[in-house]
Amino acid sequence: MLLISMCFSFGSLFGQSMYKLSGVVVDENSKPLTGASVFLFPVSRGAVTDAGGSFIIENLPAGNYKLKIYFIGYNTLSDTIAIYKDMTYNAALKVSSLSLQEVVVSDDYAETRKNEESLNIEVVNEEYLKQNLGGSIMNSLERLPGVTAINIGSGQSKPVIRGLGFNRVVVVENNIKHEAQQWGADHGLEIDQYAVDNIEVIKGPSSLMYGSDAIGGVIDMSRRNIPVENTVTGTIDLTGKTNNDFLGGSFSLAGRINNFFADFRATIIDYGDYKVPTDSVDIYSYRAALDNNHLRNTAGKERNLHLSFGLIQEQFQSTFYSSNIASKNGFFANAHGLEPRNVDTELHDKSNRDIQYPYQKVDHFKVINVSQRNWERLKLESDLGFQRNFRQEWSSYVDHGHMPPVFPDTLSFHPDLERQFDKYVYSANIRSYYQYNEKIQLSSGLVVEYQDNRIDGRGFIIPAYRQTNTGAYALVKYSNTENSMIQFGIRYDYGHINTTEYYDWFPSPVVENGDTTYQYLQRAGDIDRSFSNISWSAGYNYNPGKWSYKANIGKSFRMPLAKELAANGVNYHHFSYEVGDPDFSPEISYQLDIGVEYSNVRFAIGTTPFLNYFSNYIFLNPSSEHDRLYGNGNQVFYYTESEVIRYGFELHAHYELFKSLQLGVIGEYVYSEQLSGEKKGFTLPFSPPPSAIFNIKFRKDKLINFNNVYVSFDYRITAQQNNIVPPEDPTDGYQVINLGFGGNIPIGNQKVSLSLQIQNLLNTKYFNHTSYYRLINIPEPGRNFIINITIPFSVRINN
Amino acid sequence: MKASNILFIVTLLVVVLYSCKKDDDIDTEKPDIDLTIPGAFPANCDTMYFGESFNFNALFKDNYELGSFSIDIHNNFDGHSHSTEITQCESDPEKDPVNPYVFIDDYDIPVGLKEYNAVMSISIPAGNTDGLYDEGDYHFFISLTDKEGWSAQKGLNIKLLHR
Repeated sequence: MLLISMCFSFGSLFGQSMYKLSGVVVDENSKPLTGASVFLFPVSRGAVTDAGGSFIIENLPAGNYKLKIYFIGYNTLSDTIAIYKDMTYNAALKVSSLSLQEVVVSDDYAETRKNEESLNIEVVNEEYLKQNLGGSIMNSLERLPGVTAINIGSGQSKPVIRGLGFNRVVVVENNIKHEAQQWGADHGLEIDQYAVDNIEVIKGPSSLMYGSDAIGGVIDMSRRNIPVENTVTGTIDLTGKTNNDFLGGSFSLAGRINNFFADFRATIIDYGDYKVPTDSVDIYSYRAALDNNHLRNTAGKERNLHLSFGLIQEQFQSTFYSSNIASKNGFFANAHGLEPRNVDTELHDKSNRDIQYPYQKVDHFKVINVSQRNWERLKLESDLGFQRNFRQEWSSYVDHGHMPPVFPDTLSFHPDLERQFDKYVYSANIRSYYQYNEKIQLSSGLVVEYQDNRIDGRGFIIPAYRQTNTGAYALVKYSNTENSMIQFGIRYDYGHINTTEYYDWFPSPVVENGDTTYQYLQRAGDIDRSFSNISWSAGYNYNPGKWSYKANIGKSFRMPLAKELAANGVNYHHFSYEVGDPDFSPEISYQLDIGVEYSNVRFAIGTTPFLNYFSNYIFLNPSSEHDRLYGNGNQVFYYTESEVIRYGFELHAHYELFKSLQLGVIGEYVYSEQLSGEKKGFTLPFSPPPSAIFNIKFRKDKLINFNNVYVSFDYRITAQQNNIVPPEDPTDGYQVINLGFGGNIPIGNQKVSLSLQIQNLLNTKYFNHTSYYRLINIPEPGRNFIINITIPFSVRINN
Repeated sequence: MKASNILFIVTLLVVVLYSCKKDDDIDTEKPDIDLTIPGAFPANCDTMYFGESFNFNALFKDNYELGSFSIDIHNNFDGHSHSTEITQCESDPEKDPVNPYVFIDDYDIPVGLKEYNAVMSISIPAGNTDGLYDEGDYHFFISLTDKEGWSAQKGLNIKLLHR
C-alpha cells in the first residue's frame, strides 16, 4: 500500500510548458519498423514504435536531449535534438548484419543502471563475452577490473568482486535473484554462458536495490534480444578448447509475429579432465602423481534448455523465461573426503572423459515472468519467479567418525549419496518509477522471497531450513543541474529463518561419568531467528564534459546463512570440521566509493577507489581445536565474526596510438585487515593479490574478406600474495600472456563471427590465490586454444 | 567542483590508505610434527598388536604457541593409503571391513608452549561386543594445530595384528 500511495500521490500536474516528440521509424526501403525503441536522455523517457512505425513521447520539458533509436538487426541511431515546441523526428535505420546485438527493448535497462549510477558499474555485452570466453561465465568476466572468480576445476567458478564472494555477491538473472547453494565453494553458477547477452557488474554495496547479500556487489545478467517483427532468426554457436578437450554447442531459434515472440535455446557441453603443467600435486603433505598432466576426474558435462515467450506492446510488455541447467562434473579424486586419498588409478586414468566418483550433479530449474506497464510518467514492473536447485554429491561410502564400517540396508538414502541439497525458491518483486518533473525521479519497490531447503545423504554439514526475506525501498533522484545528479535511497528488510533439527543416523560413543553409552548425536537444533535492517545509500554524480566524477556512501547488510548459524560437519573438500554459531546478527557494512574518469577521443583514464568497514564480518575461522566425534579427528573451523577494514582501487587507461592500434592497462588492488577477534591483524580468506593487465589491441574494419578484425595481446602480471590467513599458503606472483584474435566473415547479409584465443601462451605453471584448488596446491590450467564460431541465420515470414 | 580538487582528494585518500598499512607481526608459520626424535613412535610401517598398549611419542613444535592435536586410527583395507612419508610399506591385499578398529581422540597441549613432547600410552582393545577386531593395514593419522589455527598433518601406514 505504501508503494502504491507513493506512486500516485505525485500525480498532479504542474504549471510548466510541456512538448511532445513524435515521428516514424522506417528501414532503408522506407518500410515502417515496429517495436523499435526510442529513448531520450537524460530524462530516460522512451517509447516503442507501433505497427505503423510511429512513436510519441509526451510531456517533455524544453531542453536539449540525446536521442537514441534501437532495433535489433539495425545499427543504433544516435542524435542530439533541441525541443522547444511539439516536434517530429523521422528516422531511417540501416540494416546491420543479423547477428544478435545488444538491443534494449524497454527503458528498464537504462533505469536500473541509473539507479545505481553513483556506484561503479561495468557493462558487458555479447561480443565481449565471445572474445573473452572462459571455462565458465565468471571466468569470462575475470578480465574486468575488480572482478575475480573462485574456481574449482575448469568449468566451475563463483564471482568475487573486490575480494568478496559467495553470499556477498548477488547474481541476478532476468530480474530474479539467482538462489542456489551460493555458500559452497565447490560448485559454480548455474548459468548458461550462451544464454546471456548483457551483464552488468556493480562494484560496491547495493543492498538498497538488491537486498541482503549485495554487500560486495551485484552481477546482473539478462537476455535483452528480441527478434525483429515477422522473422525467424537463430544462431549456432560452436566452441572448442584444447586444454580439457572441451566441445560445446548452443543452438537458438527465435521468432516473432506482430507483438508475440518466442525464443528457444539448447546447449550441450562436454569436457574432459583438464591439464595442468605439473606431474604431481602436493595435497597438504601427501603427493599425488598425475597421469599425463591430467587432473584426475575433473571432466564434466552440461545440458541446458531455455524457452521464453512474450508480448510487446507500446505500453505493456510481458515475458516468460524458463530454463533448466543440468550439469554433472567430477571432483579431483585424490582430494575429496576426509583426507587426501589414493585412488584406483587404473579406473580413473583409463579415460580422461569419464566422470567417476566423486562427482556432483546439479539441476537448476527456473520459471520467471517479467512484466511492465508504462504510463505517461509512471512505470510499473513486476517479476515473479520460481526456482528449484537440486544438487547431489556422490562418492563411495567411507565410514568416518563412528559410522558403521558396513553400510546398513535399513536407511532411506543410497550409501554413495554423500550429500543432497534440494532448494525451492519463490520470489516476487514490484517496482515503480515515477517522473515527478524534469528534475525529480522517484522509484520504489517491494521484494518478497520464500525458500524451502531440504537435505539428504549420509554426510551432514547444514540442516534443512525455511527462510523468508521481505524488503521495501524508496529512491529519489534529483538532477540539480544539467550535468549533475544527487540521489538518496532507503530500505527496510525483514527476514526469518527456521532450521530443522538433525540427528546422526548412526550412534557415537558418549562418555558420561565414566560410562560409555552410544547415542544418536544432535548435529543441529531447531533454530528460529528473525532479522531486520535499515540500509541506505547516498550518491552524487557530476559529468562536466570530458571529466566525470562519482561519489557514493552507503550501508549494506547480509543476513546470516543457515551454514553460518547451524553448520556442524565435515567439509569433504577441505578436510575440515565446520561449526556455526546460532547467535549471529546480520553482517553490516559501510562503504565509500569514488569514481573519477577523464576521456577524450584518443585517451581515457579512470580510477575507482573505495573504503569499506564491516562491523561484524562473518568468516570461517580455523581454530586450534580438533573434533573427535565425526571425522578423522579433523581440525575444527568455527564461524566467527570480526571487525574488518577493506580498501582498494581499480585503475584503467587506454590510448589510441593510431586509429587501428590501442594500448590499454587495467589494474586492481585490494587490502583487507581484521581489526578484532581471534584473527586480529590477519587478512580475509581468498584475498586477491594486486594485478594488472597490459593490453595491445589492433582493430581494422576490413581486412581481405574479414570485417571487424581484431588482434588482442594481454600481458597479465599478478603480484605475490603474502597477506594470508590459515589455512592458506603464500602464493607467488606470476605473468601470463593471453592472445585473442577474430573477426566476421560476411556471407550474404549475414556475418559469421569467429574468435580465437590462446590462454596461457607460454604454458606457465602458476597458482591462483583465489582458486579453491590453490589450498591443495593445484596449479592453473596450462596452455589452452579456444575457438568460438557464431553462425546467425534469419528468415522473414510473409503474411 | 574543480577537477583538480577531486584529483587531490583521491590522491590523498590513496596515500592515507597506504600509510594505514601496518607492519606484519602476525604468525604465518605452521607447526611441525617431528617423528625423528629418539624413541619416536609410531614410524611408518610399524606394527602394533590388539590387546596391548603402545607408547605414542612425538615432538610438536611451533614458532609461537602450540594449540592441540588429534590421533585417528582407521582401517586401510581398501588401500586408499595416503601416507605422507617417503618410505613405502608392504600392504596386504584389499578386503572388505567386517569389524574394523576405530580410534579418534583429541588432546590438549598445555598453554604457552612452543615445544611439546607428547608421550602417552594408548591401549588397543582386542575386540568389542561384535567380536575380535579385523587385522590388517591401518592408517595412523596425527593432526597438530597451533594457537592461530595453522595446522600440520602426518599420515602413517601401520599394521594392527592379533598376537
